[in-house]
Amino acid sequence: MSKNPSNLRNIDRLIHEPARLMIMTQLYVVESADFLFLQNQLQMTPGNLSSHLSKLEEAGYVEIVKEFIERKPHTALKLTKKGRSAFKEYQQNLKQVLTNLPK
Amino acid sequence: MNESSLREVEKRTYMSYHQDGLIDIFVGVYVLLFGLGILFSTVTSFSTWFVIPAIFPAVMVPIWMSVKKRITMPRIGYVKIGSRGVNKLMAIFIGLMVAGLGAFMVLTFASRSQAWALTLRNLIIPNGMIIMGIGAVIISALFAYTMGLKRLYAYGLLTLVLFFTGHYIIIPFAYLLVIIAFVIIINGSVLLMRFIRKYPLAPGDKANVEEPL
Repeated sequence: MSKNPSNLRNIDRLIHEPARLMIMTQLYVVESADFLFLQNQLQMTPGNLSSHLSKLEEAGYVEIVKEFIERKPHTALKLTKKGRSAFKEYQQNLKQVLTNLPK
Repeated sequence: MNESSLREVEKRTYMSYHQDGLIDIFVGVYVLLFGLGILFSTVTSFSTWFVIPAIFPAVMVPIWMSVKKRITMPRIGYVKIGSRGVNKLMAIFIGLMVAGLGAFMVLTFASRSQAWALTLRNLIIPNGMIIMGIGAVIISALFAYTMGLKRLYAYGLLTLVLFFTGHYIIIPFAYLLVIIAFVIIINGSVLLMRFIRKYPLAPGDKANVEEPL
């Protein structure tokens, strides 16, 4: 276990769940993406993706942007500032926990 | 979750975005027009080939974007590549432009001395195809690495092999460009057909298409 267990406690459990971690990672590397793109990239069912996105939206990590593309309504998903910094923090905490593990 | 994992996800996103082969078709058409332009300029007095590379991106980029919106996005969804990815491509473009400008300045400066001008002339003109082949490999490798599109390595290698062959068995430059263009266009078309078959439109997206009675 970690020499400093507080790091492990600092890990954001909302992000740590595998499906949500995949969503956060995918949204982190792009500016925005729509539901269909995420579903194709992450190979998730619509219901599963939708429920995880709702949790991330409730936490203020994901923002739903309504826009028009070629005069058609379109919903894009993007990470909020809070979401980006939470993801960076999660990355750092996890890295620290893994580096502190005895060899 | 480290930087390399993020880079992998980023590359997978690029690969997914460009799996439709549209970029290949447009690059192929560009190379084809360039080759045909050189061929035409040898039979007519007007050097059209200078005009084609200059106007092509301005005309074709909006068309490419529109085709992308009609074919790709309804099938795999819409994604806006973030500034992180765009900045990397921009850095390559700027790097290439700076390298080109640098080479141009060095050549201009060197050509002030008659001896240097002669040496450069004897080096560049007889080996033009080899130099361009190496340049093509470097450029395609840079884009292939950044975008994770392995087929770009193959295009670069094909260009190098053809230019080397053309250099030794003396095949006109324009013909080589036409051959390269056809290979890229055919590969792009195969990828596009596969993509359309792999991702058929959902029934809701066919609203504008008349259903058979």
